[in-house]
Amino acid sequence: MKIIDLMHEQSVLMPLNVSSKNECINVLVNALADSGTVTDKASYQEAVINREKVSSTGIGFNVAIPHGKSAGVAKPGLAFAQLTSPLDWDSIDGKPVSIVFMIAVPEKSSGNEHLHILMALSRKLMDDDFRNQLLSARDRGELMELLGTI
Amino acid sequence: MTKIIAVTACPTGVAHTYMAAESLLKAAKEKNVELKVETRGAIGVENELTEQDIAAAHAVILAADTDVLEARFAGKPVVKVGVAQALKDPGGLLDQALSMQAAAPEDYLKQINQAKSERGATRKGPYKHLMTGVSAMLPLVVAGGLLIAISFIFGIEASNEEGTLAAAFMEIGGGAAFALMVPILAGFIAFSIAEKPGLAPGLVGGMLATKIGAGFIGGIAAGFLAGYLAKWLKDWIKMPRNMEGLKPILIIPLLATGITGLLMIYVIGEPVKFTMDSLTNWLNTIGSTNAVLLGLLLGAMMAFDMGGPVNKAAYTFAVGLLGSSVYGPMAAVMAAGMTPPLGLWLATLIARKKFTSEERDAGKSAAVLGISFITEGAIPFAASDPLRVIPSIMVGSATTGALSMLFGATLQAPHGGIFVLAIPNAVTQLGLYALAIAIGTLVTAVMLYILKKPVNTQLGG
Repeated sequence: MKIIDLMHEQSVLMPLNVSSKNECINVLVNALADSGTVTDKASYQEAVINREKVSSTGIGFNVAIPHGKSAGVAKPGLAFAQLTSPLDWDSIDGKPVSIVFMIAVPEKSSGNEHLHILMALSRKLMDDDFRNQLLSARDRGELMELLGTI
Repeated sequence: MTKIIAVTACPTGVAHTYMAAESLLKAAKEKNVELKVETRGAIGVENELTEQDIAAAHAVILAADTDVLEARFAGKPVVKVGVAQALKDPGGLLDQALSMQAAAPEDYLKQINQAKSERGATRKGPYKHLMTGVSAMLPLVVAGGLLIAISFIFGIEASNEEGTLAAAFMEIGGGAAFALMVPILAGFIAFSIAEKPGLAPGLVGGMLATKIGAGFIGGIAAGFLAGYLAKWLKDWIKMPRNMEGLKPILIIPLLATGITGLLMIYVIGEPVKFTMDSLTNWLNTIGSTNAVLLGLLLGAMMAFDMGGPVNKAAYTFAVGLLGSSVYGPMAAVMAAGMTPPLGLWLATLIARKKFTSEERDAGKSAAVLGISFITEGAIPFAASDPLRVIPSIMVGSATTGALSMLFGATLQAPHGGIFVLAIPNAVTQLGLYALAIAIGTLVTAVMLYILKKPVNTQLGG
């Protein structure tokens, strides 16, 4: 399994034009629902919002990774957005966010494989070069090529 | 190269745990610091820190928003932050960890010694849990036993007088310390298995083991039962997120304590009562037809579970006979109850390598408890290595019991150990009686010498 197996056409949004963190989360949840990853939007969105309340998922370096574990998720999935205008996300380094990965994990996991993939993505996000390439990816093709390495 | 260890963990366990680990590793590489990071995420614990890792580390970084079993780092300098801090400033965290004072040399030496003495105990799983319980119980046995012995100095019946100092010592030692012994054993076995959620059900299960007369063996059963139950509940109960807080303070304690208690009363309690009743009846049918055989049996029974149903059946049988002016079995029972701690004391002298330093120290007080007929002095030894210690002390006690009957020794008081000897005519055949105890002590020690494995080889096994 690769990271791109967790992504669908409907859930890659580039560019995305939204004006707030909440709107961004809302759009990405809908995108995950359209792709069949999320079956109960309300429950998953609540999980994501609750997670944000614990501490912001703005991990710094212009990247945010909102995520939630919920029974409203049918299968593990990932949505991606490259924002046209950077958003405030209460990031730990205070910088606005331009890249958003939204992670959806089912309540009852059907195995660890997808978790290993998400872990690999998380680790990869700590790599400066990888992040810069994400920020400068111009289209879906370039993005998929980049993520295909994980 | 200075070694730092770290643990990362976050509530969801899919992202921050691993990002924090990665950023710490990256910063460590830049600084040329050796770093090992344990991650506790949704897929469980990975790259788990071993005892050797912890011992070798200069300091510990905990970047976590959830529980990370912090107790294992006792004595090490710890930098404790939220998981986000490791993303924000990994370099700063490492600097902070590097600048901390390493544990003071004497503490460190103490730790090494402790680690060494516990090494035999740190074989994984049940043995480790058992040792945690025994180690917590030991001071209660020593302090309680010695205080009871002190109360005997005032005369073996002195503690029956309310308001006297002797009664106070008996109350402290027998009423409180010994009453806590089995609950603490069970509680800390369960604590070792399930951490804090195990403590309450373990303590309660141990208390019930005492109440139903199941003794320390019942307490060990209660401890394992409560511990694994609490751990299982902790891992398997899933609560809606907004009620998650109820799990550790309400749901687990309630269920684990309730279930453990019911099992102790109905599943363990009934058979224990049945065993004790049938043994008592059986002893009555044997009567004193064959004195030496009876002494042998009573002796073995006294040593078998020290305070459990088998021991109680033998003791109650002998005390019951005092009322019919039959004094031989009482003598056999007391002698057989004195040899287990005495034999263990002797064994810690002749087979030093087969006991941990903690046990060798406990051996000294076991001698005092032995001569005072406080059989409980042997419990910590028996609990930590039951399959080798219990047969050894049974053989020794059976020998003593049989010899005591053979020599025709009699005893008119149901307790007191060496202090009874001060009472005129309480014991007959005094010299031979002492000889029976000495022989049993020697037999016990020799059995232990043969059966017990050196502490070091327990490491490999």
